Amino acid sequence: MIRMRTQITELFGLSIYTEKSVFVGEVEDVIIDIEGKKMESLVVGKLNQELVDIKNYKGLKIPFRIIRAIGDIVLIRHLPGAFKSGNFDET
Amino acid sequence: MTRTLARSLSRKKIVTNEGKVIGTLKNIIVDFDTGQIIDLIIYPDPSFDTSGYRVEGDRLFITFEAVKDIKDYIIVDRYLSRK
Repeated sequence: MIRMRTQITELFGLSIYTEKSVFVGEVEDVIIDIEGKKMESLVVGKLNQELVDIKNYKGLKIPFRIIRAIGDIVLIRHLPGAFKSGNFDET
Repeated sequence: MTRTLARSLSRKKIVTNEGKVIGTLKNIIVDFDTGQIIDLIIYPDPSFDTSGYRVEGDRLFITFEAVKDIKDYIIVDRYLSRK
């Protein structure tokens, strides 16, 4: 397998879709875990308003572990409930 | 666990644990498959002696293994940062 070693800024602005081709948003920033030396989650901007409850909306973070692939877009697992609550802990 | 936003690291100074300024952060190399952070890409200060470091053109590479902490500056281990 070819290792995908890329500059982190390449992620910024990429569209995020679920495996069921639902648009989630765009990558605004990346949270990195300094001690673990890894990307922890993606901060989502330009969020798809139909996915989230505006009431308890505090911004959406996509944990790295639900990411399936990163290429021209970011492909993530389809977890509609998690987008509404912003809680990915049950996955 | 220490977390930080990638964008907030832009143009931060890289300093060794003995207090020597290496340069300014340009970018970070990551592995999209594993999520691992591999290297820092740095613009070295003109006064910094880059011998013993990985240099490509005007950029200097330091393994993320060398990073000790990130607050106002990025502190790297002076031995681990060389290769």
